Amino acid sequence: MTTGISRRAALMLAVLSPTLLAGRGWAGSVVHDVAMTGLTFDPALLKVAVGDTVRWTNADFVPHTATANDQTWTTGTLKQGETGEMVITAKTSLDYACDFHPHMEGKLLIEG
Amino acid sequence: MKKSLIISLLCSLAATLPALAETPADLTDLQMAHVGYVADNLDIQYGHLALALSTTPAVREFATTMISDHSAVNDQALALLAKLGAQPEDNFLSQALNAGGVELVNKFSALRGAEFDLAYAENEVAYHKAVIGIVENDFIPNIENAELKALYTQGLVIFKEHLTHAEAMLAAVK
Repeated sequence: MTTGISRRAALMLAVLSPTLLAGRGWAGSVVHDVAMTGLTFDPALLKVAVGDTVRWTNADFVPHTATANDQTWTTGTLKQGETGEMVITAKTSLDYACDFHPHMEGKLLIEG
Repeated sequence: MKKSLIISLLCSLAATLPALAETPADLTDLQMAHVGYVADNLDIQYGHLALALSTTPAVREFATTMISDHSAVNDQALALLAKLGAQPEDNFLSQALNAGGVELVNKFSALRGAEFDLAYAENEVAYHKAVIGIVENDFIPNIENAELKALYTQGLVIFKEHLTHAEAMLAAVK
């Protein structure tokens, strides 16, 4: 039986496993870096394309997450210096925030 | 050499000024560090109490963030003090905070349900307003050590976000 929790866990695993993504070689894909710094996402608005990778890095000493507002994906908890990645698909939810700091918000914008 | 000079300066200040401190702005760097540590620990304590006594998601989420963030701030402060070879120093403000904290924990412990949620949320709003006021107006302008000043400046950003978060929690439980 598939539960909501197991689906979420599977999504987290995919997001948290950079090694699964390394060397993926998606032709034309781009890696976009988003810094978690000063309790903001920088840049807060990021233009991406399907197949691109978004990489969040926590520069703050408090932990953060990047988590879809509809809870369909999350980086999980990132401590200072840690990184989480996600590959953009056509179904990726675009609005996200930090689970710990709800006023720390970001948005992805799919182009093309 | 410069680090040694800073440590010497902090030590000499700590040795000469404690008895003179009567307001938050009068505290030495090591006393301000102590206040920060005490204030963080109190909010961590309130957070654990909230996780034990409240079932309200907004309260539990806020409490979890307080435990996590204030622990991270304290870890940074302790690491800095260890690097400087300095010890935080007890003072009148730390003692007042601790005394108030004991009273609050006793008060909170007797409350349940919506009464607890409201008391916790109201206190978190008031507590963060007070902390922000002292850090912004009394501590940061007077801290002499650049690294401690930077830590408090980063902390201030976090505390201001906490206040916004606390106000949202208070609106949710009212």
